[in-house]
Order: sequence, then structure tokens, then C-alpha cells
Amino acid sequence: MMNIMRTLLSLSLLSSFTLAAQAGGDPAAGQVIAAEKCVACHAADGNSADPQYPRLAGQHADYLALTLSEYKAGTRSNPIMAGFAAGLSEQDQKDVAAWFSSQSGLVTPVAPNTVSN
Amino acid sequence: MYLSSLALLAASALPISAVAAGDAAAGKTKAFTCMGCHGIPSYYNVYPSYHVPKLGGQHANYIAAALQAYKSGQRRHSTMRAQAANLSEQDMQDLAAFFAQSGN
Repeated sequence: MMNIMRTLLSLSLLSSFTLAAQAGGDPAAGQVIAAEKCVACHAADGNSADPQYPRLAGQHADYLALTLSEYKAGTRSNPIMAGFAAGLSEQDQKDVAAWFSSQSGLVTPVAPNTVSN
Repeated sequence: MYLSSLALLAASALPISAVAAGDAAAGKTKAFTCMGCHGIPSYYNVYPSYHVPKLGGQHANYIAAALQAYKSGQRRHSTMRAQAANLSEQDMQDLAAFFAQSGN
């Protein structure tokens, strides 16, 4: 009985890992999209040179995917991004987000109270 | 004719330049409230649920523009709109300078 329980537990863990991987998107597929559509403003790795375009490298993947879905839906309005997001499927959004998120760039800022100490 | 146009252009540019460049040290103090969410690694926004974006190392121009868009209501997020509503242009520049620098 314990063995069966253990097997079931392992199986459920395994399936949750698989789901998480799908939800996270495929960075390799995202890299291809980024090199085609995002590179001109955000740079291939998301560390944009022009300060009017946000850096995306290292940003949380779920935040980036949400942003793309908002541009596509029109709940966040930006004429340039609306055009690019319109052509991205939900999977594309996740893939691009996974790519930029995997690159080195943005960080969580250090709390002011701890900087000077 | 050209000279008067130039003078008008110069005069119209003055109000913009009246705001000093961002002061990261001043921004650090003003960022106290911001850090309650943005300073905690992997902190979550709820309803909907997603990670609060990382700001450390972000371009100052972009952060200032985002704060202005929240204040004007052009960019929607109830918490961010409430925060940005009380910020002056100088506050935004200072905060932007602080976050841009805090990525290093």
C-alpha cells in the first residue's frame, strides 16, 4: 500500500513538473521570435541600448507574457507594441517571455535601508 | 521671423528643463514605499497573479515614462496609479535614477 502511495505521489509530482515546463514557455523558440521581431528596439538579449525602450533581460517571464497579452488585447495601449503583439499566439508570448527572462539583465533592487549599512 | 520662432521654441523648452536630472540618492529615500513590493524578490501581484516586475537596472527614461503613464491613467493598474498620483515630475526622475542605478 505504501509503495502504491509513493508511486502515485511520484507520478503526480512528475506531471506537475511537465505542466510547469509548458507554462514557462520554450526559450529556444522564443529566441527565434525575438531575433525577428523584438531585436530592433529591445536588442536580441533584451538589454536595449535606447533608454526609451525597456530592458527585458532578466524580467519575470510571467510578467512579460502578461504584458504581451495586454498589448494584444488592447488593455495596455502602445501603438508599436500592439502591432507586434497582434501576431503572437499565447504560446509565442510564453516562449518570448521565457527567452528574455533567461537572459542576464534586470534585478530586484536592493532595499534602501540596507544599501548604506 | 526665424529668430522669433527660435525664441518661442527656446521658451517652450524651458518648463521641461526646469526639472532637474534625477537624483538617485533622493530617489533612494523616496523609493521606500516602492520597495514594499518591488524590493522583495519574486513578490506576487494578486488578482491577477503574476510576479511584480524587476526594476533594478531598468532605463531611467522608461521608468519615468511609466510613472507618468500611471499618473495620467494612460496605463492602468490601481495600485500604481494611486502611488504615481502623488509623485511630482521631480519625484519620478529621482525614483527613475535610483532604480536605474540599483541594478549595478
